[in-house]
Amino acid sequence: MKKVMFSPDRIKVIAKNTFLEAVRQKFFGFLVVIALGIIASSQVFRDFNFGAPELKFIADFGFGAIVLFGSVLAIVATAQLFFSEIENKTAITILAKPVFRSEFIFGKFIGVSALLLVFTAMMTVILAVLLFWRESALMEIDPEGFEAGRMVAYADVFLYGLVQWLKFSILCGITMVIASFSNTNLYSVILSFVVLLICHLQYLARDAWTQMDFALVQVAVFMLATVFPNFQVFNIGDQVALGESIPIGLTVRIIGYALAYVVVFNLLAVFSFRKREI
Amino acid sequence: MNWKAIIVVIVALLVVGVALKPLEGPIWEEMREREPALRMEDLEAALGQGGTIGLLGGFRAVVADMLWLRTNAVWVAQETAVIPATETLIRLTTTVDPRPVYFWLNGSRMIAYDMAVWRVEEAGGYGEVPEAVVRRYHDEQAETAIRLLQRAHEFHEERPEILVEIANIYLRRKEDLEMAIEYYHRAALMDNAPAFAARIYAELLRRAGRNQEAYVWLKKLYPTLDPTVPQDLAPIVLSRIRELENELNIPFAERFQP
Repeated sequence: MKKVMFSPDRIKVIAKNTFLEAVRQKFFGFLVVIALGIIASSQVFRDFNFGAPELKFIADFGFGAIVLFGSVLAIVATAQLFFSEIENKTAITILAKPVFRSEFIFGKFIGVSALLLVFTAMMTVILAVLLFWRESALMEIDPEGFEAGRMVAYADVFLYGLVQWLKFSILCGITMVIASFSNTNLYSVILSFVVLLICHLQYLARDAWTQMDFALVQVAVFMLATVFPNFQVFNIGDQVALGESIPIGLTVRIIGYALAYVVVFNLLAVFSFRKREI
Repeated sequence: MNWKAIIVVIVALLVVGVALKPLEGPIWEEMREREPALRMEDLEAALGQGGTIGLLGGFRAVVADMLWLRTNAVWVAQETAVIPATETLIRLTTTVDPRPVYFWLNGSRMIAYDMAVWRVEEAGGYGEVPEAVVRRYHDEQAETAIRLLQRAHEFHEERPEILVEIANIYLRRKEDLEMAIEYYHRAALMDNAPAFAARIYAELLRRAGRNQEAYVWLKKLYPTLDPTVPQDLAPIVLSRIRELENELNIPFAERFQP
């Protein structure tokens, strides 16, 4: 009998199908329209702005849309696409063929990650265009205010998009791990949102664990701070909006940290999915 | 659910977390240095910041703006019944978005000046209410406002206007001249301090009877002023120096020569 080898081609096929299926989903279209609408409407909301300069407000607003809707998309799309295969029994058909479970997981991950890339790229480009258009208008109104040239660092706006996409990819990996052992879509979605919250707040546990008196509590808090990735390291939006440039060394380390977790969560999803009965 | 697999996943993540610490630790330290909102000592404040930065992202700017509108809608009633709601909304606004100094300054003014007046007016008015009660209302509101501004200072260490605001509350509401002097001094020493901070510091020193200190300060200040910048008010500063020289009986030979 011919031995079946691990195949990048099969991963490609699964990823392509996952991506196409995701793009066809109404949920994706709905999120794109809402997010684009919100970014574009920052022009309207700036009338309610009290505290920040206009361009900073628009950048802030756009970053907010990217983070919020990107996180929702990463969790919901991953869980939905994973469970649709199981509920429609297509996973049984696929895995009955010479397809490894790891190929299935990697394919699913790449498909969703590509979807997240498209989403993040679209949002970032729209935001950059909006900022450019508004900055140009302001330059005409107040040339003295722009004597030093443009204020917005557009390269950093795109860097922000890249870093957020990496964060969404980790979130996709987390959702994949959760989905691989849970029984329902809803449970996976809720648990993934809880984990997202923990990942944003885990730095508090890290600060607190050394100050705890009880050894048992110390261990529990240390676990919390170590098991979950620290999502605050991806929050470069404030600095970008303030016009501070992000050092290249820091960027490389953030990317390295993200990629390490992407690999780890994918491997864990494969491990957990291999133990699962479909 | 396969509990064995879940335990293996948790243990693996623990190992990975420890292994990635040397990579993540320096990134986190650098990020923290760059983002004041992540440097909070106070757990409650840090919790609010972590949540809002992470989950609301840039939307916290617009959420804070909406909360500020709501604060003003409540504040406009101008009565003691709305004090708790107004204070809560001010705290909420500054927790959601601590970056604009505007919220901190205006919020503290509402608390220190407006609310103290509402309380006195509702107790019968400035002519009727005993001085001790007026004093207590002013003190209580001033202390709340100063606490708010001290939190603002944690986020905006580089902004002199927060220190000036604290100094003004000490001066006008708590009538604590020494504390007002201290805060004006701290503000005046900052590189981006407004020109008036140094002059007011000297005036307060004079008011406190510390003429010698005021004289030394103004002599040091004068050479740093630009005669072409109207806000620097160099002629006024020179006239204050002369006044102090007269009051301190400085011999003509030892007087300041610009």
